[in-house]
Amino acid sequence: MIRAALIALALLTGPALAHRLNVFAWIDGGEVVVEAKFASGARPRVGMVRVYDGADALIRTMGVDENGSARFPLEGAGQGLRIEVDAGDGHEDYWILTPDDIARQTGG
Amino acid sequence: MKAWKIAAAAALTAGAAQAHYGMIIPSDPMLAQEDGRSVALQVSFSHPFELLGMPLARPAVFGVVANGEPQDLLDALQPATIMEHEGFTLDYAIAAPGTYVFHMEPQPYWEPAEDAFIIHYTKAYVSAFGEDEGWDAELGLKTEIVPMAKPFAQWAGNVFQGVVKLDGEPVPHAEVEVEFYNEDGAAVAPDELMITQTVKADANGVFTYAAPHAGWWGFAALNTADYTIAHEGEDKAVELGAVIWVRFEDWARR
Repeated sequence: MIRAALIALALLTGPALAHRLNVFAWIDGGEVVVEAKFASGARPRVGMVRVYDGADALIRTMGVDENGSARFPLEGAGQGLRIEVDAGDGHEDYWILTPDDIARQTGG
Repeated sequence: MKAWKIAAAAALTAGAAQAHYGMIIPSDPMLAQEDGRSVALQVSFSHPFELLGMPLARPAVFGVVANGEPQDLLDALQPATIMEHEGFTLDYAIAAPGTYVFHMEPQPYWEPAEDAFIIHYTKAYVSAFGEDEGWDAELGLKTEIVPMAKPFAQWAGNVFQGVVKLDGEPVPHAEVEVEFYNEDGAAVAPDELMITQTVKADANGVFTYAAPHAGWWGFAALNTADYTIAHEGEDKAVELGAVIWVRFEDWARR
């Protein structure tokens, strides 16, 4: 019974690894661009973007577009941002824009 | 008899340092976002198991290909001393996820002992920020090992396969020399035959090797060029090496 449960768990977690989600974000023209991609190269068509500030407070949520992307204005990012994308079924990843990243990418 | 022994001893000593390797060793083959935004490369021409260096002149070509985009890095190489000889270092800033394939074409190296020039076309890979697409790309070098398994994210003990290519075509039954980069000098060879191992490719140019230990392993497929280079008025053969550096990791437990 335990064995069956373990196998079921392995099956449940397996697909999440085989289709690992990878999240990246960068700054383009005063906006943060978020891109989510499966390891296969495919883009998630649905997914929730959660943006946290440097104090780890949730400051924004939005959906991804049909290309697994999202954009939002660069605000409240003084201490950096953590941008999480949740595409469901355990497919979740994040990217941290550090204050250094932001300074470099905004020419500061 | 005594002379024979001395000659044999000399041959053993000389034989111990026969496998030359173009080397590009990245500080991290799998750069995570928590690891920073750059990798440091060590670039040399060496005997990696015995840690014996040879001078590496500024290469003819040094660059990186990532996400299909080539970038020339020749002028970014900083002269450095590696294994007590001239080599180079490079701090390369990585801005975006991807597989970064660093490659070098050294200037022809005159090796009097082999009465030939040596050119080792050398590659090393860095997967950045979780992105591993592009690890199997062929750069189109004069000679090249095209990996059939990721040249990173391998466990020690995993089998590694690659295709040996020369002028874009597989080389049937090519000889591939395999050597461990004995970075901390801790590895000991029970016999000089264990310093450089040799495997042969199959009829399709595919070779197979299972690395017994974690670390950087160099694979060098050697072929003789269809041209010569003049040395002191004489035409000399040119050994073309296709070198790939592959990183194997320790099996880890909680």
